[in-house]
Amino acid sequence: MNSETPEKGLYGWLERRYHLSSLVHFLRHKEVPLGAHSALWYYLGGTTLFFLTIQIASGVLLLGYYQPGESTSYESIRFITTKVPFGWLVRSAHCWSAHLMIISLVVHMFSTMIIKAYRPPRELTWVTGFVLFALALCFGFSGYLLPWNELAFFATSVGTDSVKSVPILGQWMLEVLRGGPDVTIQTLYRFFALHVAVLPMAIVAIVGLHLIFIQRQGMAPPLGHLKSIRSMRFFPDFAMRDLLLWLICLIGLTTLAFLLPYGPGIPGMDWELGKKANPLAPAYPGIKPEWYFLWVYQLLKEFPPHVFRMEGPQAALLVVTVLLGVWALVPWLDRNAAKGRLSPAFTDLAVAALLFIGYLTLMAWDIGGHQTGNAQPDAQAVARTTGLLTIAVGVATTAARILINRHRWFVFSGAALVHVALHGLFGLPYLTAGVIAFWLMVAVLAALLIHSRLQARRAQLVQGGPP
Amino acid sequence: MISATLLLASVVGQLLRPDTHLLLFATDGGAVETQVSSTQLPKQVAALLTEKDASGKPIISDDLRSYLQSLPDHTVGLIGRSIDLEMLASADHLKILLSLKLSPQAAELVFTDNCIVCHTDPENQRPHTLFSIDPPKDRPHLNLKEFLSDTHFRRGLSCAGCHGGSPTDKRMVDEIYQKWPKRDARQKDRTWIPEFCGSCHSSPGRMRQFNPSLPTDQLAKYRESRHGILLLQEKDSRAAQCVSCHGVHGIRDPKSRLSLVHPQRVPETCGRCHADSSLMANYKLPDGSSFPTNQLADYRRSVHGKALLEKGDLGAPACNSCHGNHAALPPAVASVAQICRTCHVANGTLFDGSKHKQAFETHKWPECEMCHGKHAIQKPTVEMVGNTPGTLCFDCHAKYSQSNPECNATAAHFHQVLTALDAQAKVYSSQTEQLAERGLDVAPLQESLEEFDEAFVKARTTIHSFDRGTFDAAAAPGKEALAKAQSWLEKARREYRFRRNGLLASIAVMVFLAAVLYFKIREISSRS
Repeated sequence: MNSETPEKGLYGWLERRYHLSSLVHFLRHKEVPLGAHSALWYYLGGTTLFFLTIQIASGVLLLGYYQPGESTSYESIRFITTKVPFGWLVRSAHCWSAHLMIISLVVHMFSTMIIKAYRPPRELTWVTGFVLFALALCFGFSGYLLPWNELAFFATSVGTDSVKSVPILGQWMLEVLRGGPDVTIQTLYRFFALHVAVLPMAIVAIVGLHLIFIQRQGMAPPLGHLKSIRSMRFFPDFAMRDLLLWLICLIGLTTLAFLLPYGPGIPGMDWELGKKANPLAPAYPGIKPEWYFLWVYQLLKEFPPHVFRMEGPQAALLVVTVLLGVWALVPWLDRNAAKGRLSPAFTDLAVAALLFIGYLTLMAWDIGGHQTGNAQPDAQAVARTTGLLTIAVGVATTAARILINRHRWFVFSGAALVHVALHGLFGLPYLTAGVIAFWLMVAVLAALLIHSRLQARRAQLVQGGPP
Repeated sequence: MISATLLLASVVGQLLRPDTHLLLFATDGGAVETQVSSTQLPKQVAALLTEKDASGKPIISDDLRSYLQSLPDHTVGLIGRSIDLEMLASADHLKILLSLKLSPQAAELVFTDNCIVCHTDPENQRPHTLFSIDPPKDRPHLNLKEFLSDTHFRRGLSCAGCHGGSPTDKRMVDEIYQKWPKRDARQKDRTWIPEFCGSCHSSPGRMRQFNPSLPTDQLAKYRESRHGILLLQEKDSRAAQCVSCHGVHGIRDPKSRLSLVHPQRVPETCGRCHADSSLMANYKLPDGSSFPTNQLADYRRSVHGKALLEKGDLGAPACNSCHGNHAALPPAVASVAQICRTCHVANGTLFDGSKHKQAFETHKWPECEMCHGKHAIQKPTVEMVGNTPGTLCFDCHAKYSQSNPECNATAAHFHQVLTALDAQAKVYSSQTEQLAERGLDVAPLQESLEEFDEAFVKARTTIHSFDRGTFDAAAAPGKEALAKAQSWLEKARREYRFRRNGLLASIAVMVFLAAVLYFKIREISSRS
């Protein structure tokens, strides 16, 4: 566009006021790098954003009919799904989209980890992404209670109860969260406020920040391809591909919402309304949270009542907090990637995290437990079956990494597999197996460090430099 | 991160709390010793605490010392008094009483009662007079825990209440030996027991002091019962008396699930004798045939037994609901139907107005029992009625009333209508489940099916009128409910088709748009 020729029409009118030409110029010249890995990873942020948009749109539609209250929450959701035209579709799409958003977000996060897109100068993009992940989980947790049905009521009671494990402040935090010592309608009011006001404002702000960072810094080029790099125009090439993927996602979402209106029926991914919550009714066994919290749920179960001088749940939540803290600080911990070098240890850390979370989640699903009636499934059989599954997946992934990606660093994933094998196949308690695997990992890391130091020293001696 | 910092800080804080160090030494004997000795115990009690066993360990463990410390001063004083009276002479004896971990109130009662203190001393009592926590299996009445849970003890009636003497007696007084028949005689001849229990339980004045709402006619009823006649008139000491059903030294309120006469335990309690073939071999039925022992097994698999024992429905009848409690007798032919009517009123009324009533009276048949049986009563099914061999109607009429085609036609009609309705309802019910899984609103459908269920039960009940007109009138609402359900099913199916077609149309539009986009992307890619 020639800046000297005044534009006519609406664009000209806007240009004179808002100087759109700079934005158009930015879009025309914005490019997406292409490299060794698949460009598919660059689309996952977009799909997550798409599902978030669906969430907001369907959430607003639900809000038109939903009435929070002891005698209205459950009834209004029933009304939405049975009487409101297309209400069933809106609720089903809202629930499906929530789960698909988390799936997309998790894949996006792990792909970012594996391609090291978090490396400087994009540390804050990673951190804002991590905060968005936490917000998405809070959305899931707060939204779960809103139908005020039996399952949601008991799952929220169990879920919020774990807050008690935070020392000193635990009881106070629990009462703030619940609006009293127990889950009551006060809890629903608080969760409703969080779900429709606080969290949306926070997520819009952080998504905005995340997008600004991406636009200012561009997408991270693949490691080792900083100079001779191919690229694709963002507009229209990448944007149209994004749009096509969104359309495919929409087709998938609509089909799922129609075919499985109450979810696929696996634990933690089921939103059939069932019975209305009755705080006086006894809790039934086998209450489980949403699938993305299952690994924490299982970890709490695996820890003994007392660990060293701490309560078991307290220790389990400390482990979770430390792991999530490490995950959030990865851009600063990964010094190889920061210098533009390949960083196999952190690729392996991502694989180990998947194996660790995957094993716990599979156990929480009681796979191989042969449950009959109300009897609890056999924990040892579950650990054995899920252990074998995890080891099979771990071995296949390692083989693929060796043969296809030519990876040679497997300390973290190896430790995760040793942990699974000791617990699942040899029947050691989960914590004991974890401690053994941890110290084994530390020993191997120490040996590797000594070996690399000796090699460096030898190289220096060969070159005749000072020792 | 804030939460992580808080968590870490709090964990460190938790570890550094001074009371955490106390916890570390909680199992240390020295620490507890200091704690216990901080309060003054009577010196004779403190002396028992220092006693040690053969291996040198204190006989009274730290845990029991802490418990002793927690008892009120007055109770501890009573322990000291028992030691002074030489009723509590050893640490082993004290250990038995402390290990019951009684509430302070119960402990006060125990240490006030010299009978209990003395009869729990392993060094001074003979095996048949020693109360302990783990008595020999052939002497369950010497179970100390059971005795302290007994409803009589809890209401202030202790040993002396039945055995005589006084809780403050320091030795066995003559009254105790004179109150009951001599041991051999009282075990051989049990006729004294009902009268003995009745001395309180038949006295309204006496019962008013303890439990004014409890009836006082048990003994009068018992005298008229079969058990009472056997024991009191025929002097058969094998016959059940008070202790046989209520137990001894562990008697609880019948509302307690531990009571032998709690509704859910009544069948088992009666079965202890009535399912014992060797004991029942001593008795004959009035017609001379042997006494059956399959009642308990039959009851357990009956609809009533399953409701009471498996589903926990305390409203379901147990043995005593039909036979009576203290006045237990087999119901006579004339009264069977009246007993069933206490719950199944509507069926009884319909039967009374039917043609069968007269026929049953003529044959002297027990009404309900003829078709439904007695102890093994099963849930009635449609297959019970009909005009084919194997159905109750056909088999009975073939034997007693062969030349009545109208009866057979009526039975066939009952069977045909009920079978058709039931089959149709099952189909609708399964279709409703399918539609519910597809996310359709099935609440009105379920309501119609619930209406049908109610009408179906009523229609089935009217079979007891054995009248076609009455039955058809009762079955009509069921047919209407099913017609309503069918129209709701049609509506739900239409809605499903609308949704499916809508999905297909929208997918077609989206696929078309996606195809357009795809070709546009290819075009742009080839240009650039």
